[in-house]
Amino acid sequence: MMQTVKSFGAMLRASLTMLRRNRLLVITSLGLALISIFVFGWLFGSDGSAQLRLGLVDEDHTSVSVQLTSQLRANDSLRLHTGSQSAEVAALRAGNRDAVLVITPGFGAGLASGQAPLQVYYNQSNPVTQAAARGAIQSIVANLNAGITGRPPVVRLSEQAVSVRSLRQIDWLTPGMLGQLVMWANLSVGIVLVQWRKQGILRRIAATPLRPSVLIGSQILARVLISVAQGAVLLAVAIIVFRVHIVGSWLALGLVVALGSLAMLSIGFVIGSFARSQEVSQTLNFLVSFPMMFLGGSYFPTTSAPAFLAPVIQAMPLTYLNDALRGIINNGAGLAAIQTDVLVLAAWMVVALIVSIRAFRWA
Amino acid sequence: MALASRQPVGAETLSAGGQGDSIVTVRDLTKRYGRTIAVDGISFDIHRGEIFGLLGPNGAGKTTTLEILEGIRVADKGDVRVDGLDIRRNRRAAQARIGVQLQATTLFEELTVRETLALFGSFYPRAISPDSLLADIALEEKARARPQDLSGGQRQRLALALALVNDPSLVFLDEPTTGLDPQSRRMLWDTILRLRERGKTVVLTTHFMDEAQSLADRIAILDAGRIIAQDTPAGLIGTLGAKATIEGVVEPGNVVSVDELRGLAAVAEARERGGGC
Ligand SMILES: Nc1ncnc2c1ncn2[C@@H]1O[C@H](COP(=O)(O)OP(=O)(O)OP(=O)(O)O)[C@@H](O)[C@H]1O
Ligand SMILES: [Mg+2]
Repeated sequence: MMQTVKSFGAMLRASLTMLRRNRLLVITSLGLALISIFVFGWLFGSDGSAQLRLGLVDEDHTSVSVQLTSQLRANDSLRLHTGSQSAEVAALRAGNRDAVLVITPGFGAGLASGQAPLQVYYNQSNPVTQAAARGAIQSIVANLNAGITGRPPVVRLSEQAVSVRSLRQIDWLTPGMLGQLVMWANLSVGIVLVQWRKQGILRRIAATPLRPSVLIGSQILARVLISVAQGAVLLAVAIIVFRVHIVGSWLALGLVVALGSLAMLSIGFVIGSFARSQEVSQTLNFLVSFPMMFLGGSYFPTTSAPAFLAPVIQAMPLTYLNDALRGIINNGAGLAAIQTDVLVLAAWMVVALIVSIRAFRWA
Repeated sequence: MALASRQPVGAETLSAGGQGDSIVTVRDLTKRYGRTIAVDGISFDIHRGEIFGLLGPNGAGKTTTLEILEGIRVADKGDVRVDGLDIRRNRRAAQARIGVQLQATTLFEELTVRETLALFGSFYPRAISPDSLLADIALEEKARARPQDLSGGQRQRLALALALVNDPSLVFLDEPTTGLDPQSRRMLWDTILRLRERGKTVVLTTHFMDEAQSLADRIAILDAGRIIAQDTPAGLIGTLGAKATIEGVVEPGNVVSVDELRGLAAVAEARERGGGC
């Protein structure tokens, strides 16, 4: 037991040293993510965008709906247009609205009974404003719901809840680059494993009393720690240079980065367990990381992707990692709000780990 | 010398073969790779404190045999005990007591020589300090170098130091002198002989009869997975029929007597021929 702890500590320290000295890894994870942040940050500008253009259709005509309308109108981050449903939706189609919120008949009455329907239309052509609009509407709804459990009788929208920070391109990109970094930094563990096996390093270690679990476990922990450190550097740059605002908790952020790293590591180990040569492991690494890079929602949203890609997108762990990171960084989501993402990432980790443990070979 | 106290006294030592003080016993060891029979039912003992040589041509099965004893490969059949421990059932316990130099050793590219020695030392309950190991192999000035930047001979020495990191009582060396220049080869021979002086048992493989003869107390000749001969170097030369008749003149005052010559292991027969010239 003491011996295992001692070996683990030494192996962990050695792994951290090796990862730090591995320039290629640093360049292909933190380096690429930083380059992306700078290129896109400067290309698309990082100044605040205009107000969110919200079309409001009041079909309810109750005191509650009137109150909601006036509160939304008073909000600085929204530019409110009111009109008929057909006119507002047409304006949305024409690109003159970012979202249209319809207060359907029975809303005021339904609020008391807990069944108050709202209908929302988003502008799907611009992902950034769509994300911003979605965030805004969600916070409006959340606030309404909180108001129900609160003291009657008014529906109150606090200024803060609706003051959706205008989401800039760089704000949206930052969590995506963090997810991307986590993928790049950890998937490559399989290539290293194959390299160690091919060069006979694993065989030499197999001649010592070291347990494979200690070797693998220390490598996992080292990679998670390195990923968290690299993520911290990336976020520091985003905050200092581009004034990106992290809305949610740092703890939740750290946990999701660690979980994402574990999921990616496990998949990397599967690659490392099956690939017979380094070329094969590198090819597999590309085959796994390229689709995720473009379809995982790191650089651009995938909501408007063609339907046949949906199953692929929904199977990819990076999709969920990015979603969770955006939730925390852009919208201040807590762990409860991103539990689906967390569960899917954990499932990926468990399944991949089981597969790789079954397939592990020293030589 | 401190090593002797670590031996588990009388721990289920296999007594077959009548060798009471065997540190390794191998019985009926077999290993195949597909159709190839790499090791074909061999049996032998290695005595505590001796240098045991496995001699044989390429593909004879030397590495396969050694790596089974080291717990890296698993035999198809047979019984192997290392320091009284069944290598299959008590692999890690046995591995903690042995030192291993593989036929080819590659190490972590990103760790220095000293870091590598310290890391491998941490895998064992007890380890020798990297600095004293580096002094042993005269590689102190390369402590901060990376293994891949060492010369072939220096790399061999590092591999040997790694085999000694846990101060083992039993050391396996797979072709330790291959690729060395004659001078380095001699130096390594001295190092290996010093290991025996320190009470360690050494098992080594080689392609060269002269090397086996100079170093080993006993030699097993392996060919196509079988042991075709097993004896002391002198005994082997005898059984192999390599007899020679040497005639010489004994100067007066020189004290070599016929009886003394007869007493030498390699001398089969000694006779005195009369006459002054
Ligand atoms: N992993 C393996 N897979 C298939 N065949 C193997 C494997 N290892 C060894 N062999 C075969 O077993 C036989 C013995 O090989 P081994 O490496 O033990 O020989 P050796 O005596 O060490 O030779 P050398 O002097 O060249 O090192 C050879 O025919 C070799 O091809
Ligand atoms: Mg060999």
